[in-house]
Amino acid sequence: MAKREAPEINAGSMADIAFLLLIFFLVTTTMDKDTAYLRMIPKKVEIPPEKQPEVEKKNIYKIAINNKQVIQARDSIIRPEDISELNSRIKHFYLVNRDRKTNRELNYPYYAFGTKDMYQQKLNEAYIRLDNYERQDAAKNPNIDKYIEQTLNEIAEWRKKLEIIKMYSQYSGKTEMPEIALQAHIRLESFIDTDYSAYVAVQSEVEKAVTQLRDNESSELFGITYSAMRTYWQQNMLEDKPRVSEYREKMDLIELLFPLRLIEVKPKR
Amino acid sequence: MSKFKKDDGKKAPGINTSSLPDIVFMLLFFFMVATTTKEIDPLVKITPAQGSGLTDLTPFKQRSEVDFVYLGAPIKGDASLFDKGIAVQYDGILHKDGIKYIGKWKLDKLAAKPAEFTAPREEIITCFKADELVPMGIIFEAREILGDLNFNKIGYAAQEKGNVGGYNIRVQ
Repeated sequence: MAKREAPEINAGSMADIAFLLLIFFLVTTTMDKDTAYLRMIPKKVEIPPEKQPEVEKKNIYKIAINNKQVIQARDSIIRPEDISELNSRIKHFYLVNRDRKTNRELNYPYYAFGTKDMYQQKLNEAYIRLDNYERQDAAKNPNIDKYIEQTLNEIAEWRKKLEIIKMYSQYSGKTEMPEIALQAHIRLESFIDTDYSAYVAVQSEVEKAVTQLRDNESSELFGITYSAMRTYWQQNMLEDKPRVSEYREKMDLIELLFPLRLIEVKPKR
Repeated sequence: MSKFKKDDGKKAPGINTSSLPDIVFMLLFFFMVATTTKEIDPLVKITPAQGSGLTDLTPFKQRSEVDFVYLGAPIKGDASLFDKGIAVQYDGILHKDGIKYIGKWKLDKLAAKPAEFTAPREEIITCFKADELVPMGIIFEAREILGDLNFNKIGYAAQEKGNVGGYNIRVQ
């Protein structure tokens, strides 16, 4: 049988097809990324507590924005054009008492210095309490399940902290870990008529200040910035790579050292 | 004596276009990678607020864990029909109840998908894309409704402002 060569396919219209696809993508997509500040709305409390817990004044950093976009940070008034002042003020709030065990600034949050033994002891205490609860009769004490659940949560928390402090000591060579007061937070108040742009600008300054603090600490400890780790983690969090969990652990440590606790207050006027 | 050759009737050689598809495909792939699909056509006018250190929502969008709410003055029609002149756009519509509709919208959206394909309620982000002059009162109203329904994660959309340049805050 005669051997026939396969006829060549005419690829002249390939360019047309590719152009068509290209133009389709040009029309239906956008270049600009969607970016936002992610925040949490506090969980609804089923039974409101009778008395609001007292928070010491030194633990609150209050930032208020009025309807003319003038900002008040603690006792100082900041005009909208000087908003970048907030950065150094927030950093001061976090750092001023960080290395001090005595001679502390009275008006700023105190630090606790946790050690491995201390956390271990707390963990043991929680285990003993759990044991006690489990031995109690459920009929006598109807709330016992709640107590047990609470204690289990506590145990999980102390365990995590113990892991974190081990990691901190390993990287920093220090045995004590500075932890800012649990109650320390930034309180953001606004008016009903405050502009969205001003509110976002304050959010931006808060975010920037805390991120810079975290980046510094992270570079010192691990030689990589917190932001770099976070970007990597966000893009790969669903994949099972060893680096994802490694970065997550490191980020947990940094977030414990510099927590961003932001309370956004519903405007009253 | 002429130094130049006369046109002796030869045609210009044809340009080889066989690599044209390659070039176009390269462009195509660049745009496919560098862009994201458009959400919807906006019905309200939005001048984005400026900020720095923002979180990129692309990974969340790929997992469809984010719902956008658009707030601003309507592009077409009478702004005075809406509360404070601010219309609220949910997907393709401007709802007449404004921000009060957000609870029902979120619940409908959640119910529209089978449970195994949605993220847990607390993980779905409700992102406010608001014009820079939108008063915060509206957003806090929405926050309260969302909080009551346990949609706890929200986002304030803004544009990365870069290192120079200010925030465009309206000074009064």
